[in-house]
Amino acid sequence: MDEVSTIAGKVQRVKDHWPGILAIILTLIAWHCYAIFLIRNRFLLPGPVDVFFAFIALLQKGVLLSDFRVSLIHFAIGLGGALLIGIPIGIVMGWNSRMDAFLNPIIEILRPIPPLAWIPFAIIWFGFTPVSAGFVIFMGAVFPILINTYTGFRGVSRIFVEAGRMLGCTRTRDQIRYIAFPAALPSVISGIRIATGVGWMCLVAAELFGVSNNGLGKDLWFFYDLHQMDSVVVYMILLGLIGLVIDMIFRYYIEGRFLKWRTGEVA
Amino acid sequence: MRIEAIALIAIALLLLTAGCTQPSGTTPTTAAPVKDLRIGYQPSTHQMAEITAMEKGWWQQDLAPLGVGNVSDKVFPSGPPEMAAMQAGELDVAYVGAAPVLTALATGLDARIVAGVNTQGSDLVVRNDLDYTGPQSLKGTTIATFPAGSIQDTVLKDWLTRNNLTPDKDVFIKGMAPGDAVTAIIAGKVEGIFLPTPSPSTVVNQGKGKIVVHSGEMYPNHTCCVLVVSGKLIREHPEIVRQIIATNDRAVAWNKLNRDEAAEIYAKKTSANVTDVKASLSEWDGDWASDPNVIVSPVLDYATIQYNLGYIKKPLTKEEIFDLTFYQKS
Amino acid sequence: MADRGGGVMGKLEIRNLSKAFPREDGSSLVVLDNISLEVQDKEFVCILGSSGCGKTTLLRMIAGLDSAESGSIVLDGEKMKGTDARVGMVFQEYSLFPWRSVIDNIAFGLEMQGMTKDDRYRLAERYLKLVNLTQFRDSYPSELSGGMRQRVAVARALALDPVLLLMDEPFGALDAQTRNMLQKELLEIWEATKKTVVFITHSVDEAVFLSDRIIVLTPRPGRICQVFPVDLSRPRDRTSPAFAQVRREVLDLINLNCSIQ
Repeated sequence: MDEVSTIAGKVQRVKDHWPGILAIILTLIAWHCYAIFLIRNRFLLPGPVDVFFAFIALLQKGVLLSDFRVSLIHFAIGLGGALLIGIPIGIVMGWNSRMDAFLNPIIEILRPIPPLAWIPFAIIWFGFTPVSAGFVIFMGAVFPILINTYTGFRGVSRIFVEAGRMLGCTRTRDQIRYIAFPAALPSVISGIRIATGVGWMCLVAAELFGVSNNGLGKDLWFFYDLHQMDSVVVYMILLGLIGLVIDMIFRYYIEGRFLKWRTGEVA
Repeated sequence: MRIEAIALIAIALLLLTAGCTQPSGTTPTTAAPVKDLRIGYQPSTHQMAEITAMEKGWWQQDLAPLGVGNVSDKVFPSGPPEMAAMQAGELDVAYVGAAPVLTALATGLDARIVAGVNTQGSDLVVRNDLDYTGPQSLKGTTIATFPAGSIQDTVLKDWLTRNNLTPDKDVFIKGMAPGDAVTAIIAGKVEGIFLPTPSPSTVVNQGKGKIVVHSGEMYPNHTCCVLVVSGKLIREHPEIVRQIIATNDRAVAWNKLNRDEAAEIYAKKTSANVTDVKASLSEWDGDWASDPNVIVSPVLDYATIQYNLGYIKKPLTKEEIFDLTFYQKS
Repeated sequence: MADRGGGVMGKLEIRNLSKAFPREDGSSLVVLDNISLEVQDKEFVCILGSSGCGKTTLLRMIAGLDSAESGSIVLDGEKMKGTDARVGMVFQEYSLFPWRSVIDNIAFGLEMQGMTKDDRYRLAERYLKLVNLTQFRDSYPSELSGGMRQRVAVARALALDPVLLLMDEPFGALDAQTRNMLQKELLEIWEATKKTVVFITHSVDEAVFLSDRIIVLTPRPGRICQVFPVDLSRPRDRTSPAFAQVRREVLDLINLNCSIQ
């Protein structure tokens, strides 16, 4: 009885996702035909078969796993720094109008500078260490976190704070901790989610400058220098998939766990 | 259901049309005149001939009678991106290190080396506070050089290995563009750089390093830059290829006789410091020489080294690399 | 419920209370003008007036959310300065913390006082029972109807056992049926907990049904126009002629004396 129901459940799930799966299969076939019949140049467009074999070769050499580990460290440094700096500053600016007026011009000048433009100073200040790559990622991740935290705090309904005061929550520290921060949390998490997307995209450029000898971004360029474009595509796909997984972790796990109280508000 | 039907029709169409295309490159067509000849180069004094010839208008002058409409040049920070551009069909001629050509040929580049450009001419520069007494002094250091697959990367790694230093274990090699490498050593972030002239002189003149090894000591008479021409140009316009070599030789001869003026032309075009350029010309161990016959053996040697390093998947033959028919001893 | 013997009362004395807000052009807008009134212990008083007459401002000043520059507010002989643990407030709407469950909302004030989890949940559950929402203990505000949310808001305010309960048009956003039901429930809770209640409304019906006295304010600037005792016995019947009579008197009073200055 149980086996039947789970099989039926699995079949149903496949049926639901069938259009998406079909699209992917069709894209692979189209890519294959286009590469083999039309382009006929492994350099200009490697076909999915070439990419697959390159993937197997890289997997066997064990280089993919060590690259992934190194990139994750860079990413963690950048994102960790962005959280440590972006959230507190966002809170201070969102809660206190004077600090907002004071810091806002500086933020507005720094924010539009593309993260990749910081690469020269990353090298000069931090040399060729993981902190250097992490710094470039940090410059991309910190502003979405800061600004979304700020917006979240500014948007805290005054009535919450007043209700809190009536219930004995009178110290600023407590008001931030028990009222403003939970109220702002959807915005904060949204900012973190955006920041991880931006930060992950900065990873490739950050690792370009020989920061370490491994790393998904670094090896993508390594194989470009050797004109082995099939391996380049392997890294591209890997980077995309990992970015997708990170985003999905946010959507289903983090937002599901911390923001379940919102379900009643939006359909 | 409708989506699947459309999709199946699309695939069918794709397969039908795919069968209808002509295979590229094998049918001989009447050679059209070359409207635009594109030359790639790097900002190194190794390739001064290209710059002199361009700035003095000699490319234009010598090639117009052969039907070339316009000659343009494009700068690349190092060999691998230059070869990528050629492989994408954006360059007809390239002044480039011999090693990047090999990796490109191994992945399907349709081109041949037709002449040499220079030999040697790269220096290992280390920070002033590093006490250099021999290769072993480099143990534990980080050296910045051209990216993987370049001449510098190949020669350096080979030299280290022959001196019992394992690259990336005993000595750390970081590949990057020359500008970044110079910045890195000036900022004290790497212990050494291994770059073609004039970059070493830039570092020395800023008081941030000292030259300790010439590349000729690592690999005597090693080929550095070569002249590469696209397969298309070879097949359709051999006369143009011959003239390109001749113009290059003309520029080399002039450069040797007019070193200071050549340095100024170079500095102006590449925004380099004239003093650094002049200094590099007097200290370098390199020589401009275009006879490809003498470089066949060293280049095949490179191919073997690259194969051993795992940079190329199969060894290359002389015929796959060279076309020696264009060079005429003058 | 806490036993309120031994001198703890809920007597509110307001003397010469005025409030003006500065306007953009530099002049000031007088919202309340020289309000003086007394509310006795355990009394249920409604402040009645149209929009803009300053009744919400008056309530906020009693609560301590807005400052009183001139005049005084005294509760049980002690002058009030800022928010006070003895005073609880129920806002009109959207005041429940949406990220907290019903029980955590009710227990919030107790958590601020440092009570342990077990203690405050035990106490909160008693108030949860008082407003008849026990089976919604772990629900979130977004899952509740408007009426249920206001009941939770009442339980939350009562959990700290204030002597004075302020209510700012708590049923204004609800439909008539729910409103009537909640008015009845509120009176039951009031009888059970014996609090002093100051209730703001613009509905005459509501004021007549709920209060011992109705304090009618004039439109801006807010002044006390009249204090109207409601001598109907409880429980009150909305449909009785006596009720209608009182209602008519209040309406006439408002229309004739207390509307336009």
